[in-house]
Amino acid sequence: MDNYDLNPPDSGKPFFNGYRTALRRTFFFGIVILVNLAASLWLADLFWRMQWQKAHFPLLAVFVLLNGLLTLGSFHAIFGAFDILMGRRRSVRISGLAEGKTAPLEKRHAVVMPVYNEDSTKTCARIEAIYRSIEATGHLESFDFFILSDTRDLDLWVQEETSWTNLCRRLGGFGRIYYRRRKTNENRKAGNIGDFVRTWGGGYEAMLVLDADSLMDGADIVKMARVMEAYPRLGILQTPPKLIRGSSVFTRLQQFAMRLYGPLFIRGLNYWQLAGGSYWGHNALIRLKPFSEFCELPALPGREPFGGRILSHDFVEAALMVAEGWEVWLAWDIEGTYEEAPPTLVDHLIRDRRWMQGNLQHMWLIFARKLPFPTRMHLFMGIMAYLGSPLWFVFLLLSTWIAFDRFSSGLSQLPSPATYVERWFDINGTQQTIILSLAIFALLFLPKILAVTFGIFSPTTRRSFGGILPILIGAMLETIVSMLLAPCIMAAHTLMVLSIILGRAVGWGNQNRETDGTSWGDALRFHAFPTILGILWTAIALHISHVFAAWMAPILLGLILSAPVSVWTSRSRYGKALARHKILATPEEIDPPAVIRLADAAHAAVDPALNAAHAARLGVIAAVVDPYVNGVHVSLLEHSEMSDVAQSLAERCLTLGPTGISKNELSELLYLAPAMLMMHRAVWLRSVEGINSVWTNAVESYRRRLEHSSSPSEPA
Amino acid sequence: MGPSNHSLGSLSPLSEEELSEWEEAYAAVEAYLQALRLRNRLLVAELVRGILWRASARRAREPEKPARLLAMEEALSEIANWTQDVLDVPLENRRLAARGRLALLLAGMPDKWQSVFLTPAPWPPAFVDAMRKSYLAAGPTFAALTMVPKPLELNAIGSGAAQWWETMDRRPIVRLMFIGLLILLGATTVWYFFR
Repeated sequence: MDNYDLNPPDSGKPFFNGYRTALRRTFFFGIVILVNLAASLWLADLFWRMQWQKAHFPLLAVFVLLNGLLTLGSFHAIFGAFDILMGRRRSVRISGLAEGKTAPLEKRHAVVMPVYNEDSTKTCARIEAIYRSIEATGHLESFDFFILSDTRDLDLWVQEETSWTNLCRRLGGFGRIYYRRRKTNENRKAGNIGDFVRTWGGGYEAMLVLDADSLMDGADIVKMARVMEAYPRLGILQTPPKLIRGSSVFTRLQQFAMRLYGPLFIRGLNYWQLAGGSYWGHNALIRLKPFSEFCELPALPGREPFGGRILSHDFVEAALMVAEGWEVWLAWDIEGTYEEAPPTLVDHLIRDRRWMQGNLQHMWLIFARKLPFPTRMHLFMGIMAYLGSPLWFVFLLLSTWIAFDRFSSGLSQLPSPATYVERWFDINGTQQTIILSLAIFALLFLPKILAVTFGIFSPTTRRSFGGILPILIGAMLETIVSMLLAPCIMAAHTLMVLSIILGRAVGWGNQNRETDGTSWGDALRFHAFPTILGILWTAIALHISHVFAAWMAPILLGLILSAPVSVWTSRSRYGKALARHKILATPEEIDPPAVIRLADAAHAAVDPALNAAHAARLGVIAAVVDPYVNGVHVSLLEHSEMSDVAQSLAERCLTLGPTGISKNELSELLYLAPAMLMMHRAVWLRSVEGINSVWTNAVESYRRRLEHSSSPSEPA
Repeated sequence: MGPSNHSLGSLSPLSEEELSEWEEAYAAVEAYLQALRLRNRLLVAELVRGILWRASARRAREPEKPARLLAMEEALSEIANWTQDVLDVPLENRRLAARGRLALLLAGMPDKWQSVFLTPAPWPPAFVDAMRKSYLAAGPTFAALTMVPKPLELNAIGSGAAQWWETMDRRPIVRLMFIGLLILLGATTVWYFFR
């Protein structure tokens, strides 16, 4: 349990009573263990009744694990519902703690947004919305903003510089909004944040960490900063972000499910974790001093994928913070916190591959000293979120084997001995099977039923989702599609676990945030394994018996239909059609909050006067040719002298064009201010014969404006 | 070419090659002014004409240099000298030419100050003030914190596993033997339960 005396972070008292915390955790996990134990014994009894086979032992072992996970998840929702009904809102209600406080913030805070090969116009639009939203509260003076770039794409780098400059010009944000790009992206996102902390962290009490797709309401940010200032033991304040802007069916399903069912799980999670919460990597406020002191990540034993640098840094950072006696809270009542989701199943699975490796690395931390119970639970749940799939796969394989074995041996015809369940409850084997199945279905669907019931009976929630009918239709559609998707995800996760066990490490890709959908070719290629598996499995199931095939039908159908479902759910046009009828609509879609409207209207980063996104002079070309883009880029570089090597490289680039030299050479060139200046002069001074056509075409593109002018300020 | 007060009647004939060369020079200077987002055609035409006149004067002294080179050198040096005067700082190296262009942008040149571009002093005080205040800073003053990783303290099981894992990383033969053993164990388990 918590040990706040390990290294008392401050003189402040712990926010949560230790006795109560222990009681809540014992109660919650006690019930989960009891329910799981009862279901497992019931199944063991059933196996006894069926005559034990050797294969029943591994099947029962896997059932204990799987049912444990299911019960754990389900009881989060049940306890969440219980917590809401009982009105026990004291469990870190940020709005309540910050209520009535209007004085200026006493300390300075930073808003940091790490970016990696993102669309800078969109990231700057989110920064603009957050900036304006905080400005509206009157507390802008207490915040600085940092765009922390790890972008490797050189064109996008130049566009980030111009977008940021435009943003600052329009908002008057110079000296308040900063842009920094790392030359080497060592240790990925954790290293990016760490670099900020080492360089500027001392100037701030806390940093609000955002993702490139994050959006947060200014008033809520100010509330969180107030709470951080008022409770000196508080290390991390995590908000539960809502998914927004889903256009494909897949994203709409996710955002609807998270919005309707999510609050129950969040409240349930908060019921037992209290001060021992976790950090989810973004949309969280982090106190900088303890973060710098304790949260530099250690290297894990061995190499990737299981060892080396920690990929999923967030859980570990929270673990290190809690281990040192700092409190990590979940700010469940913060409403204005948003993020976006991958648009398709394929993108979702690609992201899962990265997250899975990161979570499986956490197995080392299960064996770390000093970690308190809730931290180990978070790590365990993270690991099992991915290991659950191969376990389910093994469970289904074993079930199929047993069915096949019984079918071929005729064992099912044998008379069964009297078991405890039969003696105590006076029921036969079929009834016993049905009761267990119903219990499992109840655990599976109870969270959804509870959430829908709350949605219907709470007038505010009902109205916010557009009424009873949209809630019911949405929940039914979500349930059907998620049942179809689950087997495909199971198969994909199983393959991923295997690839990680075989030692294949994952790279660091940028996340696809928008798409026109998955093509049929891509879907068939990507989902070939589950499709073939589904067809073979169906043949085997039909061979065993039609009854068994019927039991397996939801799984087999999901596997066989992987590719069509993946394609269908990826389509934005179907998503938009659903949106027109308010199906799978969320409150944020029906009545967008102010900060989302601000982000939609934000355009400060786009200015034709400073533009590195023009088709004729994109990114690097603009940095050389355009007088203003070149001026901005060179002004952000450190002073250096022109060497012979740089001169020769610049000449090669002028002659061959930016694609004629290697990416590393071009990157080096972009860091050399004298070379960039020399190239700028050269492309304007030299005639067509002396340089590559890419430069002359870019120069020409300005002139075309005079001949085909349509815009008053932008060369066409 | 000639100064702006020359009458059209005093123009001397140019060869086709000269016309083409000066056309290229004209296009380059005009494109550069366009790139600076000067949108007033009359202003652009006047500036191009003035710059080309100077370039043509230089051509008489430096006949070996192409017209485009001379014209663009004149344009860039005219802009650099003018921004130096406005900023009131010496343009010691080319980097400050970038500083000048940046100042123009941040002062709102494309929208506000076209009419004063390349004109002699005095300039509107608001323009001079905006030009001199313009700068870019990637970050505020450094305020460092230290971040030192602490080694992971594993319990007895974890330490043993870590040692074993690192040994397997160092010695591929041990890793192969271990994988072989796992496969054998798996196969035996499957055989035991499903035979």
